[in-house]
Amino acid sequence: MIKFEHVGLRYGIGSEVLSDIDFTLEPGSFHFLTGLSGAGKTSLMSLMYLGRKPTRGLVTMFGQNINQLKRQQLSSLRQRIGVVFQEFRLLSHLSAFDNVALPLRIEGRAENEIQNNVNELLEWVGLGDHKNRLPMTMSGGQQQRISIARAVIARPKLLLADEPTGNLDNEIGFRLMTLFEQLNRMGTTIVIATHNQAIMENFGHPRLILNNGKLEIERPKNWIQKKIEGVF
Amino acid sequence: MIKELLVFIRLSKKDKRLGSAQGKRHYDLPLNKNIGTGFLIVLIALMTFLVVIAIITSFALESMTNHWSSGLENKVTIEIPAEKNNGSLRTNDEIKALQNKSEEKLKTLHYIKTTKSLSDLDIQDLLSPWLGKNVSLNNIPLPGLISIDLHTNTPEIIQNLKKEMSNINADIKIDTHEAWLGDLLKLAGALQFAAITIALIITITTVTAIAGSIRTRMAVHSEEVELLHLIGAHDSYITRQLQRHAVIIAFKGSLCGLLAALVTLMLIKLLSGEITEVLLPEFQLNAFHALILIAIPALACLIAAMAARFTVLRTLAIMP
Repeated sequence: MIKFEHVGLRYGIGSEVLSDIDFTLEPGSFHFLTGLSGAGKTSLMSLMYLGRKPTRGLVTMFGQNINQLKRQQLSSLRQRIGVVFQEFRLLSHLSAFDNVALPLRIEGRAENEIQNNVNELLEWVGLGDHKNRLPMTMSGGQQQRISIARAVIARPKLLLADEPTGNLDNEIGFRLMTLFEQLNRMGTTIVIATHNQAIMENFGHPRLILNNGKLEIERPKNWIQKKIEGVF
Repeated sequence: MIKELLVFIRLSKKDKRLGSAQGKRHYDLPLNKNIGTGFLIVLIALMTFLVVIAIITSFALESMTNHWSSGLENKVTIEIPAEKNNGSLRTNDEIKALQNKSEEKLKTLHYIKTTKSLSDLDIQDLLSPWLGKNVSLNNIPLPGLISIDLHTNTPEIIQNLKKEMSNINADIKIDTHEAWLGDLLKLAGALQFAAITIALIITITTVTAIAGSIRTRMAVHSEEVELLHLIGAHDSYITRQLQRHAVIIAFKGSLCGLLAALVTLMLIKLLSGEITEVLLPEFQLNAFHALILIAIPALACLIAAMAARFTVLRTLAIMP
């Protein structure tokens, strides 16, 4: 699904914020991405959602070397990735409904399909009654749920979420993690950047730990046993 | 449409007060809410106004030159000067005698279609704008004039005509109107060229203004554009939004400009109707002219769409 080989990233002429990143994420896997503030989590996420190109190294997404892809092919690849941005990035002039519907409209889906899917998902994230409201009239938690709904509406093959539970109370946070787990069981590969130890411990998925621009992979002790038992 | 209307009606008062969306989605980018939109419409309207004036001026000049050249194409004037080559004056009787002799000769020539000797009354009528209608011309030496229509006007025929007339009297002159008509046509052609050049310069200025405006909008909405890009929108999807916006602005502006120009021209025609009838031939828009004028808003939309497309694609090319 994702393969990084000796990937480095620097901004301008500064030092590398990511250095020699090597990892492979198998299709259908679920990982947490964690690390101290400023460790490079958002930069690594931006490489994964094709918001940037690495300054060195090789990035392979969905079996394709991104350096060899044309612009149009990169856009098609991005349609297979759902992203929950840390700062939500909702379009302020569009209603909650239209914000969530955006990926489907970009894909050119039929309007009745869009209506059904978006309404259903908005009900699921508890915003069925707020679908015509503009983001600025909603709380941070509600905006985050809109952002999550927008990321998952098109059933992406890869879901990247940057601190998705940051502004949510525990109950909603756990409900959304359950949604991510359901998507994962349906075959979506998931990477969640988080600081939330409780969530990481409760859901027990492998962790990609960034430290000073380097990446380590850590698997919980009982991870293999849980995987065999089919817990996730 | 009905569904969207129902969605809007169903919105609670609270929703409306809180600034909810109005059940109708116009753009993924908030382009219709930009402050500069009205200014751009006015700018395009002014540019269209000037282009229409320039184009109609060009049409009018073309019509005039056609009228002048076709009207005088086969016409030649024979002049029996009142003054002889040696400086002495001819009497009116002498002039009449030469005029009659020349006319008789002209009637025998096969390439002459019609001849018409101008009487004293005709000449008096021609001179009346300068000398007034009540002036007696009996004591003023006036040339004898014969207006002739040729079947065809060729250099050989004119040469032959000169020869025939010089056989009657060496002083007789032949005026083919070429000298002053040529200058007039050159002047009209230069004015027509200037009008077309002005129209082209205005078009280029409009394209630059639209491109600049689109670039500004791209900068203002860079975050939204980047978001669409990251969600997977193809360049064509983003381009279409800005293109549609540019086309709507261009259509509104050009339509206003076209209507304003037509109203202005009608007013000019009404106010200066009598003057133009005397000095210039009447100009009427034909079907081709009307088609060109109607096509101006469509052309403005096309130019706006192309300018927007080129600008957006160039800006998007910077993104990964």
